[in-house]
Amino acid sequence: MEIKQKLTSLLHSRIFQIIIFGLAILVILPVIITDNFFLYVLTLICIFSIYAASWNFLANSGQGSLGHAAFLGLGGFSSALIGTSISNGINGLLGTVIMPIGALSVTIQILVLIVGGLISAGIGFLIGLACVRLKAWYLAMVTFGFSVIASTLSSQFDAITNGINGFAPTTLVPRGFPFYILVLSFTVTSIAVMYLIMKSRTGLAFRAIHGNEEEAKMIGINTAKYKLIAFVISTFFAGIAGGLNVYFLRFVDNSIFAPANSFLPLIMSVIGGLGTVIGPIIGSVFWVSIQQILALPSVADYLHSSLGGFFPGLSNVGPPISLIAIGIIIVVIVIFEPKGLVALLQKVYNYIMLKTKSKAEIKPK
Amino acid sequence: MDITAPTIMLTLIWGLAIGCIYILLATGLNIIFGVMKLVNFAHGQLLMISAYLSWTISVSAGLNAYAAILVSMVIVAFIGILVERLTFRRVLGTDKLNEIFVSLGLIYIFENIAMLIWGTNSLQIPSPLSGLNLYFSGVSITYDRVVAVFVVIAALIAFGLLIKKTKIGLAMRATSQIKNTAMLMGINVEKIYMITFALGAALAAVAGGLYGIIFSFNYQVGAMPTIIAFAIIILGGLGSIKGAIVGGLLYGITEQLATLFINGTWGSAVAFALLIVVLIIRPHGIFGEKGE
Repeated sequence: MEIKQKLTSLLHSRIFQIIIFGLAILVILPVIITDNFFLYVLTLICIFSIYAASWNFLANSGQGSLGHAAFLGLGGFSSALIGTSISNGINGLLGTVIMPIGALSVTIQILVLIVGGLISAGIGFLIGLACVRLKAWYLAMVTFGFSVIASTLSSQFDAITNGINGFAPTTLVPRGFPFYILVLSFTVTSIAVMYLIMKSRTGLAFRAIHGNEEEAKMIGINTAKYKLIAFVISTFFAGIAGGLNVYFLRFVDNSIFAPANSFLPLIMSVIGGLGTVIGPIIGSVFWVSIQQILALPSVADYLHSSLGGFFPGLSNVGPPISLIAIGIIIVVIVIFEPKGLVALLQKVYNYIMLKTKSKAEIKPK
Repeated sequence: MDITAPTIMLTLIWGLAIGCIYILLATGLNIIFGVMKLVNFAHGQLLMISAYLSWTISVSAGLNAYAAILVSMVIVAFIGILVERLTFRRVLGTDKLNEIFVSLGLIYIFENIAMLIWGTNSLQIPSPLSGLNLYFSGVSITYDRVVAVFVVIAALIAFGLLIKKTKIGLAMRATSQIKNTAMLMGINVEKIYMITFALGAALAAVAGGLYGIIFSFNYQVGAMPTIIAFAIIILGGLGSIKGAIVGGLLYGITEQLATLFINGTWGSAVAFALLIVVLIIRPHGIFGEKGE
């Protein structure tokens, strides 16, 4: 009875209806707009949403990582290597040259991605063990150092990883709509799981630790244990995002460990709204849109013809200008609106609601 | 390369010259942390800006490279004041993560402005001493590196005198101990913060000028020195000047020996592995106190 009540209240809640509506649009839209570029951007946004959300999840427990690219890369490399060798093995058994596309390859793809996430989480557990005693910038340095070490290792053991020249993993799910649906389902599941954990008692412990670690310890929370749990879950999803990213781009090399990739989820979360579910998603929509709009040939040409004269040393002025803008946006958001674009949108929404409400109140008179 | 006594000697001297630049950067970061309890991850970008400014001044105005460093020191100190007033002052005392976010934003701003102004090609500051080598016991080292070591020592001594002997230094030390008490004693803490940040930026500027004379640089050159300088002060303990120097030498020697004995690409990985091991054993660095 209680479950039924909960279910009906869930079905009637506004948020739930909006989410279902949004998901339906996300599935139907690519069918209507059969534009490759549009699909590409949507897939990219979904992948980055998982990645940013995984970083945000860790930040929620008070741990700011500056080396998440290490886990993105670990997940990417391991799922690409395992997937390629499995499909090669099956090809050897069946004697076919090209892997048949069907239920089998989809299953393999999903399993390989999860295994990539698990490997990333396993390493994350070890790094987390080293990190539980560290705070703020000490933690930031250790995670950053680990991403440097991971990059070096992938180059040193090039015979296994092909890290220097990179390689293309075997295609298991074809690019385009099928891959988009795969990514979308992973995104929805990952974000839902992280949301549910944040709402549970474990999530409460994370927030208590974020609020004040000493006080959390005093009320009987095993802070080391919970920080480690947060680390493992976060690195698991970062690994999944890495696997999806590699299979989507169909290429992986050791540049995946670059510091820029470590800063990406942080920037997205900060711009979108720290500590919220929707924040990293908005952040990744914002980031990917800006990057893609500036990369459009017409926009790039316009920028070059109007501003290129001032900066003769550059062939393309779009990226640096957009990154200066991103930098300014981050600083302004941290100073003036620490809750990010989410809070800003909320304020706008409240303002509009207030206006319509007051109009509605005036009318009956 | 054969491992003989002269090559080890040469490696250590190379490490010393590079290490000195890192120590200068680390000292700047450290004084800012000690007084303001703030970590500026964009510190290396001040080094990068200073290298470019010194280059522009010495190339376009025809000034001696070492004199150009002095001019760029003043400019970068003013940039530092601007950065402190506009950004860091507003997030001081809030969540520690906010400082990391602001510095990250500053990194993006500085690097891309430098890219817009100076382009993407690597530059090197033309030195009046270029091509001159100093020989001893079979190894040679350029004069510029030797001069760099002496400039760093001079800068550190001047810095030490400023901290120990002047009234401003006294005020800075008081602020670093207990901010509120310093305020009650009539010290204008905000002014001290401003001076501290300008001082740190000026030290980074000297490091940047020397870096630009010894190495070729581009707009991305700031990132790695910041991380290394930060690793150094973490090794030594945040806020401890003595620790920064010991940490700098430790880092330089580890990196250079790893490069010599294992492989060039292992340098930074081994140095970071050392950092992680140190932090696992002592979460607040070798000389760090448990306070912060």
